[in-house]
Amino acid sequence: MRNFMTKAIPIATIAIFILIMTSGGYLKRPLGDEDSFSKMIEDITTDVNDGAWDRADSNAKNLVNTWNRIVIRIQFSTEQEEIDDISTSLARLHGAVAAEDKTNALIELKEAYNHWINIGK
Amino acid sequence: MNEGLVVLVRAIIAFFSLLIFTRLLGKEQISQLTFFDYVLGITVGSIAAELTVDLTSRAWPHFIGLLTWATLGYLMEIVSLKWRYAAKYLEGEPTIVIMNGKFMEKVLKKMKFRASDILELLRNEGIFDVNEVDFAIIEPNGKISVLKKPEYLPLTPKDMNIKVSPSGISTELIYDGKIIEENLIQMKKDRKWLMDQLKKQGIRDASEVFLFLLNPAGSIYIDKYSDNMKNPIDIGDYKGPY
Repeated sequence: MRNFMTKAIPIATIAIFILIMTSGGYLKRPLGDEDSFSKMIEDITTDVNDGAWDRADSNAKNLVNTWNRIVIRIQFSTEQEEIDDISTSLARLHGAVAAEDKTNALIELKEAYNHWINIGK
Repeated sequence: MNEGLVVLVRAIIAFFSLLIFTRLLGKEQISQLTFFDYVLGITVGSIAAELTVDLTSRAWPHFIGLLTWATLGYLMEIVSLKWRYAAKYLEGEPTIVIMNGKFMEKVLKKMKFRASDILELLRNEGIFDVNEVDFAIIEPNGKISVLKKPEYLPLTPKDMNIKVSPSGISTELIYDGKIIEENLIQMKKDRKWLMDQLKKQGIRDASEVFLFLLNPAGSIYIDKYSDNMKNPIDIGDYKGPY
């Protein structure tokens, strides 16, 4: 039994470490309806294209909250720069929506989505 | 992102990964390491450090680097074990630098060793006169092995035809005030015998003893917590505290 444990414990430890380090791709997947980053990006894009700025503003706030929840899950398996880039894009998006600036809002949405695709890869 | 927490988790991953990989790489002591083993250790340690604190990249690529270096190191060991020629090529082989009391100048030049380096290594071995040396060999780990001329070899009981009994390796029967039952059984002794030995030394309880060693020849070493030294020698230059 002891011989088995001396081999099993290191193998299990390494397996857990690998799981933690590669879990980004899985953990960024939505846990519920209000947890889908990509769907929220799509919704805001529609709002911006339709000129529904109040709804876009509300959705942008929700997107930031959702993003903050996701960061807690994926922080151990992603690079800090990618997380910071998304946070910056979302802050700029919020500003562009507040200024009702369609061009910049769409640019930030695309950039945030691009970072989102790359995260946890 | 909680950077402190991420570094903490990454440090745990790096620490235990390094521990497991180094255990896998074998039990060679620092003194046995070849130059390549030394470089390998530094590189693996450096990758583990980056895994811990370099948050600009994911932990996973660093871990892959760590795993690859450790695996290659392990494979090299396996190859060296199975294939003698590879071992000689990878780890180098012992080189004779003094033969029959004469320096091998060409060998020294090839190994980029100066005569003064050899003299330094000899002094480290307690040899201050080269005339005493018959053969000197530089081992792959950089240490020197010396065979002295017969007239300088120490006298042994065998030379004098004196019979000696083997002393064997000492076993701890009491460590830090605690009796180690497994070792008592292994040495075919019991608690009663142990207590009798302690009584002979004026010790009433095992808790008074820091170390009790017994070797197969029956020789006993006892060190108590209270050493009763009246004037302990202090080799320090300053009072301290350090």
